Amino acid sequence: MAINRYTKMAYASADDMIFGNATAPVKAGLGLEIGGGYTVPEVNYAPRPEAGATKEKLVEEYERITRDIMARMVQIGAPAVVLETEHVQQMTNNPTWGGEVAAAQKAIMEDYHDEYGIKCALRHTPGDIREDRDYLQLRGDKYDVLMESFEEVASNGADLLSIETMGGKEVSDYAILRNDIAGMLFAIGYLGTTDMDMIWQDITKIAKKNNVISAGDTDCSEANTAMFIAGGLLDKNLAHTLAIIARAISAARSLAAYEAGAVGPGKDCGYENTIVKSIAGVPIAQEGKTSTCAHSDVMGNLVMQCCDLWSNESVEYHGEFGGTTVQCWSESLAYDCALMNVALETGNAKVLRDMMVLSDKYRDPQGYILAYDNAYKVGEAIVKDANDIYLRAKNAAVECVNLLTNADPKLQMTRFEKNALKDAKEALDGLTDDTDQFVSDCLETYKAEVKVFRPENYDL
Amino acid sequence: MTSLEIEPNTILVRYNVEKEKSMSPAEAAEELYPKDELIRPIAEAIFEGEEDDVVDGLQKAIDAGKDPIALIDDALMVGMGVVSKLYDEGVIFLPNVMMSADAMLEGIEFCKSKSSTAPVAKGKVVCHVAEGDVHDIGKSIVVALLRANGFDVVDLGRDVPVDEVVEAVKAEKPMMLTGTALMTTTMFAFKAVNDRLLEAGIKIPFQCGGGAVNQDFVSQYELGVYGEEAADAPKMAQAILEGKDLDALKKQFHTH
Ligand code: B12
Repeated sequence: MAINRYTKMAYASADDMIFGNATAPVKAGLGLEIGGGYTVPEVNYAPRPEAGATKEKLVEEYERITRDIMARMVQIGAPAVVLETEHVQQMTNNPTWGGEVAAAQKAIMEDYHDEYGIKCALRHTPGDIREDRDYLQLRGDKYDVLMESFEEVASNGADLLSIETMGGKEVSDYAILRNDIAGMLFAIGYLGTTDMDMIWQDITKIAKKNNVISAGDTDCSEANTAMFIAGGLLDKNLAHTLAIIARAISAARSLAAYEAGAVGPGKDCGYENTIVKSIAGVPIAQEGKTSTCAHSDVMGNLVMQCCDLWSNESVEYHGEFGGTTVQCWSESLAYDCALMNVALETGNAKVLRDMMVLSDKYRDPQGYILAYDNAYKVGEAIVKDANDIYLRAKNAAVECVNLLTNADPKLQMTRFEKNALKDAKEALDGLTDDTDQFVSDCLETYKAEVKVFRPENYDL
Repeated sequence: MTSLEIEPNTILVRYNVEKEKSMSPAEAAEELYPKDELIRPIAEAIFEGEEDDVVDGLQKAIDAGKDPIALIDDALMVGMGVVSKLYDEGVIFLPNVMMSADAMLEGIEFCKSKSSTAPVAKGKVVCHVAEGDVHDIGKSIVVALLRANGFDVVDLGRDVPVDEVVEAVKAEKPMMLTGTALMTTTMFAFKAVNDRLLEAGIKIPFQCGGGAVNQDFVSQYELGVYGEEAADAPKMAQAILEGKDLDALKKQFHTH
């Protein structure tokens, strides 16, 4: 399978982008069309720690979770739902465990579909187990186990295949804590994309063979790490202007999945997905105010702007006053989707979209750049040098910096954020446009500075 | 875009903008640098995170007759003190601390290479990430801040088996142990470490933090003291130096 880089935008203008609609919708699972004119809740969950003890316990736990969600969805009249099972490590390390869980979940979903006609699909996200204690081990034995895991879930009922890959993380962890823009570009833009090119061609092969969907990835391991370290308004661990530069770069990385054959929906925690959608037109999952059970962010409404699936990221399965956690959160998601679907139905979608955007566009530099109008511009910067994975990532960073430097005065930034931005601009201005030069400089630097960096992970 | 627009101030408050200190980091640091003209450039280079300038400054001071080992406390630590103080006050951010800490470590190595006597650290701390857990960024921050404050750190890394933690404590005899866990599935290892240490008759403060960990959990085992943010690690080490016992530490750090 080949890599086909995107050289054009999927949408003629940013304003054409809207929730519930993708230029390339995806049919999946039991009667579902994602991005085909309506939004759908995507529920995420984690088993209680005790349930991981044996395979039997784990399968039972997921059966309970699945039944709870499906029951609540029909109780409130939700027309459609997606379930995402993010593997706990032992499920990926023992591929047949993942397969058995998928089969058990799918059987329950089929029963509900048969009885009520509820449209549904099951996403499985094996863990990226490609590391040993000290090093990433992206190629080799663990890769084979990971692929076996995909094969098992795909052949046992999973409709959508995803992963949160870790390529580039060892360098990114180092760079992010040191305001090192070149390191972020090398880690996320170059190393990350290189790994994505490899793994997504193989996942797509498995998906095709099993007639299921090669869905997509997220730069959780890098851009979300930056976002979490940046934290809330008062945290002082990382400038939010740098976190959003990492995010802009990450769009060029997440895009690579679709260039290697994935078709969407992209993963929920990829806050870069609006940028990706502007380029690839694939449906995307997003999370925000509904994922406060898992983490905090500063753009809880804004990220709904162009979502096709609306998710809660992850919640541990246990009881709440209103039912089990998965029931409470699936219900919240379903009502959000109902509201978006009403807006679509009544011709008010753009108004609702823009209200959600304005809620958070000026809250923080991150929301400002991810607002679809600016996200689109970052997308344009990426496709300009589509075929050079370094230059396109650099373009994204440069565009992000320019947009912030010339931002609407309604976006107030602290002096600290502005200084970090200025330093980032200087660093970017000082970078070469010669990709080979950049890569060889970085190899030398990070081999020396990052003990755990192993170029052979990237065939370098 | 629709024509919707808003005045953001009516719907949100940028508390960080409102609360920002009026002084710039450089101005604030200016006030804190030592006066000695051999020492000052070293402290400045630490603040800027410029490793080469640190080494240059140290060489000049040594050439002028200063004792390399004394320079660790008198110049490197003083520079780092400026960094820690401004970080605590919210004037500078973490990456500055990390870069300064890198520069300081390089400086310490240089000083050691110029002398035959070994420096005395303020105290030793063993740090680790719980067994089964690879989330190590919080731990790396803890390590950097401890080192930045002059403590000698033995960094066991991530996914560290309980046995290995206990062995390291026996071998290194630290003044305190830290643990980081980000998953509800891995934090239970702290209890096991606690029990094994007690069995061996070792009663050192064990500060535990990281995303999944909370005060209620840490309160369940005797040696545990909850650490909410990384900056609490050097604060606790300092408190131990000042003679606080486990109960006093819990009182200070269990604020919830
Ligand atoms: C980044 C990240 C990753 C990165 C980690 C990169 C790295 N090198 O650390 C990667 C991609 C590798 C990763 C992998 C996984 N992750 Co993860 N990850 C995160 C994420 C998004 C952010 C964590 C982070 O770095 N935060 C920033 C740091 C700075 O915060 P911190 O460590 O808490 O430290 C601060 C304080 O706590 C304190 N502190 C920390 N330690 C100590 C110690 C002391 C003594 C003191 C005083 C203070 C202190 O100091 C720091 C700053 O003040 C969280 C989301 C979340 N809500 O936390 C999920 C999260 C932790 N991951 C999760 C999961 C499930 C996983 C995986 C299992 C996913 C999978 N299916 O493969 C794997 C785990 C593999 C394993 N065996 O560990 C879950 C855990 C759920 C649970 N069971 O509890 C979370 C909560 C996401 C979620 N909502 O589902 N992850």
